[in-house]
Amino acid sequence: MAQLISIDPVTRIEGHLRIDVEVEDGKVKDAWSSGTMFRGIEMLLKGKHPFDAQQVTERICGVCPLVHGTAASYNLDDALGVELPDNARLIRNLCLGANFIQSHILHFYHLAALDYVDVAAVVNYSGSNAALKAIKGKVAGLVKANDVYPFLPRYESDDYVSDPELATVLVGHYVEALEMRKKAQEMLSIFYGRMPSFVGTVPGGVTVQPTVSNIAAFRARLAELRFWIDNVYVQDILTVAGVPAYQIFFTAGDSGGNYLAYGGFDEDSNGTVKFLPRGYITGNDVAAVKEFDENKITESVKHSWYRDECEGLHPKEGKTEPEVGKEGAYSFLKAPRYDGKAMEVGPMARMLVLAGLELSGKISPDKQKLMPLVKSLGLDAKVMELATEGKFGILPRHAMRALECKLIADQMDVWLDELKPGEPIYDKKDIPGESYGRGLVEGPRGALGHWIHIKGKKIDNYQAIVPTTWNAAPRDKEGNRGPIETALLGLPVPDAENPINVVRCVRSFDPCLACAIHVIHPEHNGVKSFRVV
Amino acid sequence: MEGKGVTRRQFIKYAGATAALLGLSQSLVPEIARALEELTSGKPPVLWIQGQNCTGCSVSFLNTNFPNAAELVLDKLSVRYHPTVMAAAGDLAFGVLEETAKELAGKYVLVVEGPVPTAEGGEFCTFGLEKETASFNGYQRRKDKPMTVWMEELVPGAAAIIALGNCASFGGIPAANASVTGTKAVQDIVKEISKDKPVINIGGCPSHPDWFVGTVLDYLINKRVPELDKHNRPKAFFGKLIHENCERRASFDAGLFLEDWNDNNPDMKLCLFKMGCKGPVTYADCPTRRWNSGVNWCVGANAPCHGCAEPTFYKDLSPLYEPLPNVNFLGINTTAETLGWVAAGATAAGIGAHYLYKQLGKKAPEGGEQ
Repeated sequence: MAQLISIDPVTRIEGHLRIDVEVEDGKVKDAWSSGTMFRGIEMLLKGKHPFDAQQVTERICGVCPLVHGTAASYNLDDALGVELPDNARLIRNLCLGANFIQSHILHFYHLAALDYVDVAAVVNYSGSNAALKAIKGKVAGLVKANDVYPFLPRYESDDYVSDPELATVLVGHYVEALEMRKKAQEMLSIFYGRMPSFVGTVPGGVTVQPTVSNIAAFRARLAELRFWIDNVYVQDILTVAGVPAYQIFFTAGDSGGNYLAYGGFDEDSNGTVKFLPRGYITGNDVAAVKEFDENKITESVKHSWYRDECEGLHPKEGKTEPEVGKEGAYSFLKAPRYDGKAMEVGPMARMLVLAGLELSGKISPDKQKLMPLVKSLGLDAKVMELATEGKFGILPRHAMRALECKLIADQMDVWLDELKPGEPIYDKKDIPGESYGRGLVEGPRGALGHWIHIKGKKIDNYQAIVPTTWNAAPRDKEGNRGPIETALLGLPVPDAENPINVVRCVRSFDPCLACAIHVIHPEHNGVKSFRVV
Repeated sequence: MEGKGVTRRQFIKYAGATAALLGLSQSLVPEIARALEELTSGKPPVLWIQGQNCTGCSVSFLNTNFPNAAELVLDKLSVRYHPTVMAAAGDLAFGVLEETAKELAGKYVLVVEGPVPTAEGGEFCTFGLEKETASFNGYQRRKDKPMTVWMEELVPGAAAIIALGNCASFGGIPAANASVTGTKAVQDIVKEISKDKPVINIGGCPSHPDWFVGTVLDYLINKRVPELDKHNRPKAFFGKLIHENCERRASFDAGLFLEDWNDNNPDMKLCLFKMGCKGPVTYADCPTRRWNSGVNWCVGANAPCHGCAEPTFYKDLSPLYEPLPNVNFLGINTTAETLGWVAAGATAAGIGAHYLYKQLGKKAPEGGEQ
């Protein structure tokens, strides 16, 4: 008999997420994803100085302020007609890259790893490695004091990595990773002042000139991080992916085969060439990457707590009027669609778009970067097998995040070399009387778009569609599920008390709910009606 | 100590760093070490909940150095609930909240990140499940539990309440939308629930990890609420005006202002007042403490201070990139009537001598007020 399992809060993500799954015969039969927190950030931007948008929107998210601040800067650049100097473009790339590194490390080790590693197994470590013995001492102390928070309680499962040697190594890396992501934040603050809530990018450019000394300070930390990504992060992913019990996760957790990337990291001054290319894929046809057209983005609110008048609009004229308790609605997230389709965004979308362009020869062999890396790690056969099967699940999502982290970190050394101390960093432009702008970037969690309408030199409307709104979206007008909802279908849940596979799947998307629920229409900010469910 | 993987020498070094963090004399290191050792044997339980937050203060907390995050979370505190860190999810997770509140009433530290929306029955922020159910796709599903209800359950038993970050302390950006969401600062919610329960506000958007860790250690070592300013912020961290301690103060006094980021000679630390710097009205120790292991801070990145530690941030400090209007510069310190001020007024065309002169003679307000 079917049963409904509610998971609220889904922890080790950013923000407030509730997942309901209907389970029948030990498998997920249906799923609903609900965002349960609302702030309404854009409304306070109405009537404000357009430059404020960067500082305010970066407060949408404390994990990814960089991405919002960067999207807002590109958005304003577009509205103002800025010609971005190369130094500014490169510093923005470098800082965005540093944020990818800190975010990806944080995600795998601190948000996801506890779903796979048995921390308790560490007490059985019998090796002689001094660092690992110290980890064992730490965990043994917690166990002895009968105070094992925050590692316990947890969902129980018989497939945690429980080999004492391996578990201890991984827990050791969990602790090391805290220091590594801290270094990535230091790297950011060299150019951008501080993290989180940075200050170093502004409409028109950046605030800090590259110098021999800040380049050196950045490069020293980058070198350390690159070494760690190569030798620890990527290797740990390969190790976890090799665990026999996890083989089903190569395909389980597939989101439906549609992937979208706006493209990230500009390689030229007008942003036509991207280090991570733009494009979209439908029906898991990886080799057939299609050209992205930003006019095909719409948002549906049929099952969201917003008035029906907000249905089907492009974000340029988007409306966001909350209606808490609306019949049939179950989330503060809207349902963004591309050409009417739900799309997974994020590292897997970007890597599949890149792989598709490389495999189909649209990127010439001398410029390919992903497939050569995949080959060097011995993963090419696996990737081809999954592409043939037409399914990419939980493990590929983690693995591609790690590979992307390496690709970006390696490229950052190149960008550092291209900086030119003494050259311009800023293009000063007046605020126009009336103008539209948009800034499309890639954040660690996926495609992010900001749209602005300036009128009377002030902000008239500001809208954002963030990665998690794509991934954690509820059903749309046609009743089609969002990517996370689709990915949950069919997952094994043998024990209703311990739905570990459900959270494994949800976390593989690295959801960020504060990002996803931030909007309100500036002209209609009143709650129109309210019914307690 | 050895059993926990920490050598004696490391521990004393760490006690010394703690003394430095709290601004205490190094002669107190042995005492701090003793207090910290006591702590390890009876780790205080921490419940860290999130309202209308962005997790920026949690991410900032992870950047802590002395002690580092792993030491704090595993060795010094018993972090029973933290939604971004804990292994548990769903029933298991909020079960810990409910159990700790019951079993350790009067003993736990409640950390609140993000403010609390009160409109529409609190439905703008929920986590965990109520006992009552409602129908959902043919099932009876347990209802979402509002943050307001959690506050009612958790506040009475808290030994101490820390509002972390400007949003929790003063409402911050979400409160600018209070007409819709009914957002309130933590201290205002607490007042309604348990009148005399003290709330320590640790401002900043985000909060600096040292401000939080320092306050917690101070509280645990000295077993008292640290000295607070009129906004209930620890004076140790929020007692000084940014402008007073700014590394670019000399440029301000000399009337050397940045007006275009391309004008900046990296070796010339030009004053950012004309770029909208809110340092003259913001109380925090950023200029001396700096951020991210001391690597930099906002003004160090050639960008204006946006005043994120002030109760008036963001709404009343906008536009962020326009010079402050009508600032009482004499609020800075008692030495304001120096030649520097006159020189600044006389040479800085954008500000105007008459403007600065107009400010002369006004009475200096208490810390934290503009």
